[in-house]
Amino acid sequence: MGIITLEKTDRLFWLGRYTERVYTTARLYARSYDHMIDALEDDYKNFCKAIDIPDIYGSKEVFLEKYPFDESDMNSLASNLQRAYDNAIELRYEIGSEVLAYIQLCVYDLQKAKESDAPMLEIQSLIDHIMAFWGTADDLIASEQIRDILKTGKRVERIDLYARLAFPVTDIRREVNRMKFRIAKSHINYKESVVKNIETLVETEPMDYYGIVREIENIL
Amino acid sequence: MDFKDFELCAHTNSINELLARYGVKFGIYKNNTFHERLFPFDAIPRIIEADEFSKLEKGLKQRVKALNLFIKDIYSDKKIVKDKVVPEDFIFASSGYMAECEGIMPSKGVYSHISGIDLVQGKNKEWYILEDNLRVPSGASYPMIARQLCRKSNPKTFEKYHLEDNRDYAKILRKTLDYVNVEGHTVILTPGRYNSAYFEHSYLSEQTGAHLVTGQDLFVEGDKLYYKDYNGEKARVGAVYRRISDDYLDPMNFVADSVIGVPHLFDVYRKGNVALLNAPGNGVADDKGIYYFVPKMIRYYLDEEPILQNAPTYLPFYEEDKKYVLEHFDDLVLKDVAEAGGYGVVFGSSMTKEEKEKFIEMLKKEPRRFIAQEVIDFLDIDIMDEGKVVPRKADLRAFVLTSDEPVVWKSGLTRFSRNPDSFIVNSSQGGGFKDTWVLLH
Repeated sequence: MGIITLEKTDRLFWLGRYTERVYTTARLYARSYDHMIDALEDDYKNFCKAIDIPDIYGSKEVFLEKYPFDESDMNSLASNLQRAYDNAIELRYEIGSEVLAYIQLCVYDLQKAKESDAPMLEIQSLIDHIMAFWGTADDLIASEQIRDILKTGKRVERIDLYARLAFPVTDIRREVNRMKFRIAKSHINYKESVVKNIETLVETEPMDYYGIVREIENIL
Repeated sequence: MDFKDFELCAHTNSINELLARYGVKFGIYKNNTFHERLFPFDAIPRIIEADEFSKLEKGLKQRVKALNLFIKDIYSDKKIVKDKVVPEDFIFASSGYMAECEGIMPSKGVYSHISGIDLVQGKNKEWYILEDNLRVPSGASYPMIARQLCRKSNPKTFEKYHLEDNRDYAKILRKTLDYVNVEGHTVILTPGRYNSAYFEHSYLSEQTGAHLVTGQDLFVEGDKLYYKDYNGEKARVGAVYRRISDDYLDPMNFVADSVIGVPHLFDVYRKGNVALLNAPGNGVADDKGIYYFVPKMIRYYLDEEPILQNAPTYLPFYEEDKKYVLEHFDDLVLKDVAEAGGYGVVFGSSMTKEEKEKFIEMLKKEPRRFIAQEVIDFLDIDIMDEGKVVPRKADLRAFVLTSDEPVVWKSGLTRFSRNPDSFIVNSSQGGGFKDTWVLLH
């Protein structure tokens, strides 16, 4: 593969982050969607709180319609997927058409979900296609360095989300461990001191979730 | 060969879905907003028999050879002007002529490395050249990927019919890039994802293995061009397949506020330290006004009769032609030489009385700005429209890649109009595309 420019490095990193953000929040939304069938009118507020986004919706119905599909809402699935796509579309040379195709398919899945009276079925396809994206990325991207940058983005985002969502300590520790090895192999410029701080934070009880979020956002 | 019941047609929708999956799109600006559109694919191929293609191949090579010699001559001795074969008005007044290119000899003496020649077939089965595109012609990637996907959807079709394999385009292109590379990496320079042909830039990059870069990735140091990585390490670039027009290539030499070019790139090129494909200044040879003179160029430089004919063309610049144009206005198609992409093309017969008067006034005032052509009675080709086979107008963009010798790609982009009443086939105007099959025997 040879030289990777600064801009492409940045795009690979953010492609990893946004893809992971869509994946984790789509899964959480799917779980919450089911829960909200039986729940009270304003139970959606718990979802907003959990993923740390403002409640701009006002009602369960508006939330269920807008959170996945509203492109003008910067926190929506659609906006995050668009950002993943915006990065992926500029990386055909680095990741290849086969891998890129899965991000394109996710965009179509979300469009279909928006037009469907059973949107969760299409959102399931979106989740499947993200998993296929990571599978083909592992299998087909020949450059280890590119895979490492992409996966560093994924790990960083996952730690950020898991900490915001107060995931179990063991899950966060596992992700920090994975990220630590991945980022070292990626050859990108990062702050080693931040990695050390996060390692300390995840070993301290009770876990300082917001401390982890603060540190991870500062890793590059 | 009758393809109306062809199995491939039954898979049109699934092939279009695969094209969508791989992001086979083009960009278009409408009301100042960028939109990505799928390029509609029709599965009925255009079929060219081996003998017929062989004649086309000879004619296209001949034309591109002459055009390359013309550009070389214009930026050096200008013999063709001195010998009064082409009037100087058509050179120096052309928007494609670049005084900055005077005296520059590009790597290996090639100017038009990738030439896109547009042709149409008349009902008399004769092929006519409509236009030469020697700057940044696009479109080869579409039939190339469409063939791949058609083979996937209908392998038996391709077992049955013996065709030239058009998936070798990237290999020919890579050879063309390597031939002129002076030393170092080969890159494809794109203006970015909001360019109408961005899919093609990125796909050709993947297929040729040439890095896809923007102007910000490149820099000039000590009269050489470099590519920098995220750690600041640099690597020399020896060939740039640029998909940026001349004006925006280098803000230090051309449009000063270009943010997509590379400062001093043209200086490196002038010193022979990088190859630019296609060479800057080629616009002087694909101007719609110059088109009229290409058969004369072939006779002048090659001492041969043109194998392929131009569409009958008139230059209002010449009094005699102007008289003919005014007398036969309703039978002609008029083209503004400065426009491209299907814009600036009007049919005399479709104008209102007021429009006609206004146009004629403009034509008399600026005769150099227009050419007029007889309306060719196109041979319609079949397309599938909502399950029915219907005839539509179509053209063919043939690609000629020049390294040590011109090579004609054994395929081409067939574009068709989806509107039954229109001759305009451009994607930007709603047209679709087909694969072009060249039979082996």
